[in-house]
Amino acid sequence: MIRAVGLATLLAAAPLAAAAHSLVVFASVDCDAVTVEAKFSNGKVAQKGEVRVLDGENSLLTTLQLESDGTVHIPLSSVDHSQGLVIEVDTGGHDNYWIVTPEDIARKCGS
Amino acid sequence: MQRLFKRTVFTTLGLFLATVAVAQDRPKVVTVNYPLQYFAERLLGDAGDVEFPVPDDVDPSFWRPSIADISMIQSADLILLNGASFATWVDRVTLPRSRLVNTSAAIEDQFIVTESITHSHGDGGEHSHEGVASYLWLDPTLAIAQAEAIADAITARELASADDVAIRLEELRADLEAMDQTAQSAFSDTRDVALIATHPRYQYLARRYGLSITSLEWDAGAAPTPEQLAELSSIAERTGAQVLIWEAEPPATAIEALRGLGMESVIFPTLAHKPSAGTYLDTYQKAVSDLSQASLGANN
Repeated sequence: MIRAVGLATLLAAAPLAAAAHSLVVFASVDCDAVTVEAKFSNGKVAQKGEVRVLDGENSLLTTLQLESDGTVHIPLSSVDHSQGLVIEVDTGGHDNYWIVTPEDIARKCGS
Repeated sequence: MQRLFKRTVFTTLGLFLATVAVAQDRPKVVTVNYPLQYFAERLLGDAGDVEFPVPDDVDPSFWRPSIADISMIQSADLILLNGASFATWVDRVTLPRSRLVNTSAAIEDQFIVTESITHSHGDGGEHSHEGVASYLWLDPTLAIAQAEAIADAITARELASADDVAIRLEELRADLEAMDQTAQSAFSDTRDVALIATHPRYQYLARRYGLSITSLEWDAGAAPTPEQLAELSSIAERTGAQVLIWEAEPPATAIEALRGLGMESVIFPTLAHKPSAGTYLDTYQKAVSDLSQASLGANN
């Protein structure tokens, strides 16, 4: 629910902040995984796209593909998230990013 | 002698620990541009620290922070946003809502809607100037509204004494009103003078003082290409403009090239970053003086 509200807010703000057809990326965290969602600012789901996961030194940790619903799940156990994560999504014509800090992850894990 | 030594050591240690404790307790405010940093510093006085974390060589509108930057910002007691689509990074991170303040929320009805132009330059990659003009603080009356929002936020969160903040706000307001009066006077005879700017940054300045500014899309401080000079020449011929406004010091070759077109160059820093010398107030006033003099020269 919170994720949906966050993405809706971003989409509402996007026309003011960027080009008419920009990519909006949002990532939410729970204790197990980072869930990435990508949509265009016109509301359409980004059905294809490369998702790059980088660490605090901007080193590439892994590369994934968006699912057809515009999401991808990154299990925290699959990446070294101790320095936080930068999630980059590139659909070919458009790209954007979301930053997840170690504090974001710790907050969700109740520590 | 030994007693005196001990007393000196304990006193020094006590002072050190007190200083450390005070430093740890000091509120931290983070801003997305220099004008907000300047206003917050004036309003907080010695009661806290104000940080503007964007490197000097990066446009703060399109800065991409690191994870460490965001961790630092998330730990701030107050995060001051400009609003008006300035600082795109704020929509790409999680920020604590209770500590976020949009300093232009009360003046959104005064925003200027701009045309859509997507292009690419500098550190931030491809970006667009569509939406809303962002450089609110170039109109001192809007800057006053932003300063008032900051004062309210500081007081509401008890980051400084409310009485002290109120006094400092009145001083800051007086300075900004004087700055506005100076600009009103300086531009009183330049309303019919056509001007050209290298980048679309001066919408609020132009509206406040009735200036007629046509904007290009040149990189800040970079030498123009032959194509750009041809476009400038065409606009200058159409509008009659003889003055080009730069955001930053251009290369000497660019100034020479403009002289060849019969145009004078004026630097009007946008102040999104702290100027290398001086403050928001005196840099703005010098820029106003330089621009008005050049405009009057072109008018004669």
